[in-house]
Amino acid sequence: MLPRRILQFLIIYVLGICALLALKYGAGLSDYVIPGPDDLWRTGTEVFRPFGLDVLNTLTVAILGQVISVVLAIFVGVAGRRATWFGSFIKVAAYNVQAYPIVALAPILFILVGDGWITRLLIAAMICYFPVLLSVLGIMSEPVEDIEHFYRVTGRLRWQLEVKIRAFENLSKLTTVISGSATLAFAGTIVAEFIAANAGIGYSIRIALYQSDLSRILAALFFIGIVLSVYQGLLEITGALVRRTWAGV
Amino acid sequence: MRLACRDIRYRYPGSENELFNGLGFVLEEPGFHAVFGPSGVGKTSLARLLTGGIDDFSGDVAVKGLPIRLYSHNLERLPGWSSVGKHLSRITPPGREAQRETLVEAFGLTGFMDSRFSRLSLGQRNRVNLLRYLIQHFQLLIMDESLANVDEQTREQILLTIKEMFPESCFLYISHNVVEVATFCRKILVLRSPEKSPQAVFVGGQDRRKDARLDERRLQQSMLEIVNAS
Amino acid sequence: MSEHHGLKGNGRALTALAIVLAVSFLPIRSSQAAEAVVYRLKWLFNVSVVGDLYADEKGLFAEKNLAVTVKEGGPERDAIKEIELGHAQFGVASADQVIRARSKGSPVVVIAQLFQVNPLQWIYRSGRVRIGNLSDLRGKTLGVTFGGNDESILRTLLAMAGLTERDVNLFSVRYDYTPFLRDRVDIWPVYRNAQGIILQDQLGAEGEETAFFNPAEYGVRFVANSVVTSEAMVRERGDMVRRFLSSLLAGWQMALEASRQPQVLEMLARFDPNLPPRVLAAQLDATRSMVRPEPNFSVGAFDAAAWRQTERIMLEQGLIPQPVGVERSLEPAFLP
Repeated sequence: MLPRRILQFLIIYVLGICALLALKYGAGLSDYVIPGPDDLWRTGTEVFRPFGLDVLNTLTVAILGQVISVVLAIFVGVAGRRATWFGSFIKVAAYNVQAYPIVALAPILFILVGDGWITRLLIAAMICYFPVLLSVLGIMSEPVEDIEHFYRVTGRLRWQLEVKIRAFENLSKLTTVISGSATLAFAGTIVAEFIAANAGIGYSIRIALYQSDLSRILAALFFIGIVLSVYQGLLEITGALVRRTWAGV
Repeated sequence: MRLACRDIRYRYPGSENELFNGLGFVLEEPGFHAVFGPSGVGKTSLARLLTGGIDDFSGDVAVKGLPIRLYSHNLERLPGWSSVGKHLSRITPPGREAQRETLVEAFGLTGFMDSRFSRLSLGQRNRVNLLRYLIQHFQLLIMDESLANVDEQTREQILLTIKEMFPESCFLYISHNVVEVATFCRKILVLRSPEKSPQAVFVGGQDRRKDARLDERRLQQSMLEIVNAS
Repeated sequence: MSEHHGLKGNGRALTALAIVLAVSFLPIRSSQAAEAVVYRLKWLFNVSVVGDLYADEKGLFAEKNLAVTVKEGGPERDAIKEIELGHAQFGVASADQVIRARSKGSPVVVIAQLFQVNPLQWIYRSGRVRIGNLSDLRGKTLGVTFGGNDESILRTLLAMAGLTERDVNLFSVRYDYTPFLRDRVDIWPVYRNAQGIILQDQLGAEGEETAFFNPAEYGVRFVANSVVTSEAMVRERGDMVRRFLSSLLAGWQMALEASRQPQVLEMLARFDPNLPPRVLAAQLDATRSMVRPEPNFSVGAFDAAAWRQTERIMLEQGLIPQPVGVERSLEPAFLP
C-alpha cells in the first residue's frame, strides 16, 4: 500500500516535471521561467536537508491539527446529530466559522495568540475539520435502523451505543475521510505558514516565491508530496488495522 | 389479557389510499397466533402500530395485560464488533442464562456462538435475532417473517419449542405460509384489502404442540377457511 | 468604370452600400491598426503607478497608435516571466528581479528606471526610537520580509554597521501591520510613498511622531521599479518600444507636474476611493520626490552606479551565483 502510493506520487511528479521541461524547451524559455534539469538537481541537493526539516516541521503541526480537528469534528458531530436546539446551534456555529476566509481570520488569530505555531495549528485544524465534521454529522445523524431497533425497543440504546453502532457501520467511510483529511490538514498548515509563520515548508515556499525561484518551489512540492504520501499511506494502514481488529474483516 | 383494535384508520404519509379503513378485532387469549394476508395488506404496519412504532393513526388500540410488546423482523442485524455469543451474553437479562442456553440448543445454534453475525447464513441470522428477543421480558412478541430462510424441519422444531417454553405469552406470527400458520397457530388474523368489510377476520388454526397428533382433515379445513377469508 | 456606367441604377445602390460598409468598418479598421500591447505592473493600482495610469487615462498610448492594456500586478505576478511567455510585451520589475532573471538566462532588457530613490524604507516612532546612525539599530526589533528586497537591504546595512543577527531582533513581516501598530516592532518596512504615508497619517492622528529610515542616506541605493521588455522587442520592434516608452514617460512627467495635481488626485481617488485627499496628496508629493528628484530631472534615466551596487549586494549575499554585468541589460537608447 505504502510503496505503491509513493511510486504513484513519483510518477505524477516526474510527469509534471517532464511536462514543464517540454514546455521550457518547446517554447525556448529561460531558466528564470522554468528551471533546467541541472538547476533542479543543484537546488534539490542544496535544499534537501533544510526543506526536509521544514516539511517534517509542517507535518508535525499538520498531524496535531488533524487530531484536534478530528476530535472536534467527532465532538460536534455527536453533539449536533440530534435535531435539538443545541444540535442546530452547534451546526450553525461550525458552518459559520468555516465560511470565513482564513486570511480574514488570520489577523484576529495574530492578536489573540501571536504568529507562532499555535496560529499554524489553529488554521490547519480549521481548514481540516469541516469535511470531517460533515462526514461525522452525516454518519451520526443517520440511524442504522436494522441494528438499533432491538436496542431501542428493549430500552438499551444509550448515546454511547448509538454512536458506536453508527461509527462501526460507517467505519470505512470514516477512515477514508480521516486519511483524506490529512491532505487538508497539510494544505492548511502550509497556508498558515504562508500567511502567519516563520517556519515550515509553507514559509520556505513564500520566500522562494519572493525570489521567483521555481526550482525551490518544485523541490518543496516534491517534499510535500513524498511526506504526504507516506503519512496518508500510514493512515490507511492504520485504518485497515482498526477495521481488522474491530470488525474482524 | 386483552388486545382490542377499534375503527383503526391509517394511511402512509404522502399516500392517498387508506391502508386501514375501520380495522377492528379483539384478541383475548394468550398463545401462538398469526397475522396472515397478501403482500402490501398492512401486516407490518399493524405490527408497528401495536408496538408503538406508528402513532399517527385514528381509532383505538386498547391493551390490557400486555405492558411489554416487542416487534422483531427478519431484516435485523447484530453489531459486527464481537461474536454472536458475546452479544447474546450482554443482552441476557439476569436469571435468564439457562433459558438462553436451552434456546441456543433448540435453535441449532450451538456451534455458531463464536462467529460474527455477518459470517452466518441468512437462516442462522434470523434464528439468532429471534432468540435474543425471546430471552427478553415481554408479554407480546410480534415475529415478522422471523423464520424466513430457515429450513422446514428446523422451523417446526423452533415453533414447537417456543410454544412449549412460553405458554403464557402472546405471539403474533406474520407469515405467508398458509400450511405453517394453519398448523401451528391458535388463531389466525386474516388481514384483507381496505375495500373489504370487515378488514380483519379470525380463523381458527390447529395449534399443534409437541407430541400431539395432527388431524389432517381439520388442518385442510383451517387452510381452506384462511384462503377463503383472505 | 465602364461597368458602373453600364449599371446605373445598381451602381448607385452599390456605391451606397460601399459607403455604408466603409463607415461601419471605420472604427474596426482604426482599432485594428493600433497595435495591441499588454503592460504588466508590479503592484496594484495605487500612487506608485500614477504615471502609468495617467498615460493610459489621457490617451497618450493611443496617440502613438498603441492599444495598451495596463494590468495590475501583485505578489504572485512576475512581469519578466509574462514577457518571456508572450503574455505581455512590457512590464515593471524591481532591480533584484531583473538581476535574478539575467543570471538565469532570461532575455530581459530594462528600458527605463522609474524610481530614482527606492520607496522601500522603514517607518519608526521617532518619539521613542532614535536612529541617528546605523549603530543605533543595535538591540532593536527590525521588521523584515524574509526573501524580499528589504532583507537584502537590511543585511547590507547591518554588515556596514558591523552588526550581526545576534545584535538585533529580526521580526518576520507580512501584509498585516498589527505587530507595528501594537508596538512590538521598532522599525517596519513600508513603501514610503504609499503605505508609509497612510501609517504616518494614522499614527499622527494618535499623536505619535513618525520618521522614515532611508537606506539611501547610508549609501545603500538598491534600485526599485523599472520598465522592462525583451531583447526580441528591442531588436525587432524598436519603433514600438520607442513609441510605448515615450508615451509612458510623458504620462509620468505630466502626472508629476504640480499644475496637474488636482486632476491627478481626482484620478487617484477613483482608484483608491477610501483614502482622504490629504493622504493622496502627500503620497503624490512623496512619489514625485522619488521619481523626479529635481524639477528638471528627465523621468526614466538610469542610475548605473546604483544598479551595479544592487548586483554587488546580491552577489555578496549569495542571491546570484556569479556576476551578471547588469549594465549590459540597461538599454537607454529609447529614452527621450
